[in-house]
Amino acid sequence: MASSLNPVDHGWRKHLPLVNAFVRYGLLILVGFLMIYPLLWMIGGAFKNNAEIFSSVGFIPKAPTTDGFINGWKTSTEYSFATYLLNTMKIVVPKVIVTVISSVIVAYGFARFAIPGRKWLFALLMATVLLPKSVLLIPQYLMFREFGWLDTYLPLYAPQAFATEGFFVFMIIQFMRSLPLDMEEAAVMDGCNSFQVLTLIVCPVILPAIISVALFQFMWSMNDFLQPLIYLSSVEKYPVALALKMSIDVTEATSWNEILAMSTIALAPSLILFFVAQKYFVEGVTSGAVKG
Amino acid sequence: MNAYRLHRRYILLGASAAALSACSKPRPAPTSGRELRMSWWGGSSAHKATLEALRLFEEKHGIRVRGEYTGFAGHLERLTTQIAGGTAPDVMQINWYWQTLFSRDGTGFYDLSKLRETLDLSQFDARTLSMGTNKGVLNAIAVSNAARLFYLNQTTYQKAGLSLPTTWDELFARGPQFKTRLGQGYYPLDGLFLEFIALARTYVVQGTGKPLINAETKSLNCTRADMYDFAGLYARMTRDHVWPSAQVRASYGNVAQQEMRPWINGQFAGTFQWNSSIDKYSDTLAAKQTLALAPYLLRPGAKDAGMMYRPAMMFAVNAKTPYPDESALLIEFLLNDPDGIRAMGLKRGVPVSKAARTLLDKEGLITPIQRQSEAQLAAAQIHVVESPWFEHPRVRDGFQDILEAMGYGRLSEREAGDRLYDDINAILHRVVR
Repeated sequence: MASSLNPVDHGWRKHLPLVNAFVRYGLLILVGFLMIYPLLWMIGGAFKNNAEIFSSVGFIPKAPTTDGFINGWKTSTEYSFATYLLNTMKIVVPKVIVTVISSVIVAYGFARFAIPGRKWLFALLMATVLLPKSVLLIPQYLMFREFGWLDTYLPLYAPQAFATEGFFVFMIIQFMRSLPLDMEEAAVMDGCNSFQVLTLIVCPVILPAIISVALFQFMWSMNDFLQPLIYLSSVEKYPVALALKMSIDVTEATSWNEILAMSTIALAPSLILFFVAQKYFVEGVTSGAVKG
Repeated sequence: MNAYRLHRRYILLGASAAALSACSKPRPAPTSGRELRMSWWGGSSAHKATLEALRLFEEKHGIRVRGEYTGFAGHLERLTTQIAGGTAPDVMQINWYWQTLFSRDGTGFYDLSKLRETLDLSQFDARTLSMGTNKGVLNAIAVSNAARLFYLNQTTYQKAGLSLPTTWDELFARGPQFKTRLGQGYYPLDGLFLEFIALARTYVVQGTGKPLINAETKSLNCTRADMYDFAGLYARMTRDHVWPSAQVRASYGNVAQQEMRPWINGQFAGTFQWNSSIDKYSDTLAAKQTLALAPYLLRPGAKDAGMMYRPAMMFAVNAKTPYPDESALLIEFLLNDPDGIRAMGLKRGVPVSKAARTLLDKEGLITPIQRQSEAQLAAAQIHVVESPWFEHPRVRDGFQDILEAMGYGRLSEREAGDRLYDDINAILHRVVR
C-alpha cells in the first residue's frame, strides 16, 4: 500500500530529464553547427588548394596546405598583409572612440534637456538615418577635397566626431529614456553639474548600450568597402576590406585560398572583441540599481 | 603659419616656373623628376607585372609613377567619383564602354592624337584607333582587343568520340549525341544568360549582316522575325540538350561559370568566351583536361562573322592632367617599348600594338591557344561594328529578364520573341542619349 502511494518509478520516465536534455542539446548543437558551417568552411578552405575549394563541400581539407596563408600574407602588392591590418586599426579605433563620445553626448542632450525645437531636431536626426549613404558620396567627396583630406584617414572618421551616425544616437536615447531619473536627481542634489551627471552617473549605467554601439561600429567599419575605396588612393593606406578584393578580377583566375586565409585572419579581431564584450550584453547592469 | 606656408609654396612655384622658362625650348621634352598617378584594376599577376613595368619606367625615364590599383569590384564607382571631383589620376585604365559614361562628347579625356610625337600611334591599326575615337578626338588607346570565340573541352569531346563542331547544325546535333553517349549531365556548350545573349546576337547578326543595335534610331536593327529566331534559339538549344537550361544551371548554385563543378570536371564541355579571359577558364579545369579553340561557327551564306570584336581594356589620359607628355611617355613605354612590353607580357591580353605583338611572338611568350585565337580573329570577316549600347547594363538586363522568364516557362517562345522586340526597343529609346 505504502509502496503504491509513494511509487518509485523504475520505468523509462526515470530517464526523462536526461532524454529531454539530450534532445534539446542535440537539436541546438545541430542547428548551431549548421549556422557556423560557413565559418568552418572558410577556415577549412583556407588550407585547401584552389581545385579542392570548387569541388568539395566538406570543410576538412584532403591535402592541407599553408600556401594560402603564406602567399596571402605576402599579397600581390608591394606591402604585406600586416600593413593592411594595421591600416584598418588606424581607421577603426579612432572611429569607434569618436562615435561613442559624440553619440553619448548628443543622446544625453536629447534625452534630458528641454532644448527649443527638440522635436524638430530629433526628426531631422531620424531623417539622416533614412537617407541613403550613396546620396552623400559626391558632395562629401567634393567637401573633403576642398579640405585637402583626400587620401588621408580623416574623411573616414572625422564626420563621426559630430554624431553623424543617427542610428547610434537613437539607440542610446531609447536606452536613456528607460532609465529612472531618481539617480540623476540625487546626483544633482549632491552637487554634480550636468556634465558630471553624464560621466559619473549615466555612463556607467548605460554601459551595455555604449558597448553595443562600439561593437556595431567596429564591425561595420571593419567591413566598410565603399568609403575607403573612394577616399584612399594610395595602396599603402588601404584597409583590409580593400586589400581582400585586390586580386579578384574578371580576366584572371582568383586564388580563393589566399582570400579565405586572409579573411580568417581579418575576422579574428572582430571575434575576439565580440567574445570579450559579450558578458556586457548578458549582464543586466541596471537591474537593482534603484530600489524601491 | 598657414599664410607663410602658402607664401613659400608660391615662391617655390614661381622659382620652378622661372627655371623652366629659362631652359624652355619650342616644345619641351618630357621632364624627369615628376610623379605621375596611374590607376588600373586587375588580378594579382596583373598587379605584379604592372608594378614591375612602372619600376622599369622610373629607372629608364626618371619619372616616378604611383600605382593606384584595385580589384575589378568598385573600380568604376571610384573612378566616377574621382572624375566628378576632378581628382582623377593622370593615366587610367578604362573599359571600352566607359567612354560613353565619361566622354559622351569626346572632351572627357585628353586628345591622344595631340601627343603623337611621344606616343607612336602607327603601331595601332585604324579599326582599333577608331574604337577609341569620339567626334574626331582620340580618347583612349586599346591595350588588347577581344572577341568571344568557341572554346571547347577537347577531352570530353574525345570521350564522346565526337569531333568539335564546324557548323551551327553540327553544334545542334552534338546535344542529343552528348546525351546518348555520355549521359544526362553532359552538354556540348555552356554559359550564363550573358553568354547566351552574346551567342544569339552573333547568330542573328550573321543572318542580317547589320549591327543588332542602331544608336541613331535608338532601336533594334532587325525585324520581329529575327527576335523570334533569338528566342527560338534558346528554346531549341535547351530542349535539344545543347545548352543547360536555367533550371539545370541553377541546381549547381550561383557561382562563376569557371568555378562550377560540371565545368571543372568537363561535363559542361564548352564556353563562348572572350579570348582575353580564356586562361581563367582553362586554369580551373581538373587535371588532364584540355581546352581547345573550335572553328568559328557561321550560318550558311553569312557575310559577317557577327563577332563583337572590341577593345578589352584601354588606356586614357586625364583631360586636365598637368603632365600630358609624361603620361603619353608612360603609355608609350607600356605598349610599345621592349622593356615595358616584356614586363607586362600577356597580363592584359595579347597586345594590339604591332611592336609588342612581334616581340612577344618572337620570344615565344604567346601561348598556343592565344596564338590560334589571334589567327582566327585575323581571318574572320568582321565588318559589322556593334554599338556600345549593346553592353549597357539596362539593355543587357532586358534581354536577360525575358530569356529567364522563358527559361522558367513563364513565357512561351512566341511571347518571348514579341517581348524581346517590343521591350528592348522601348529600353533603347529610354537609355540611348
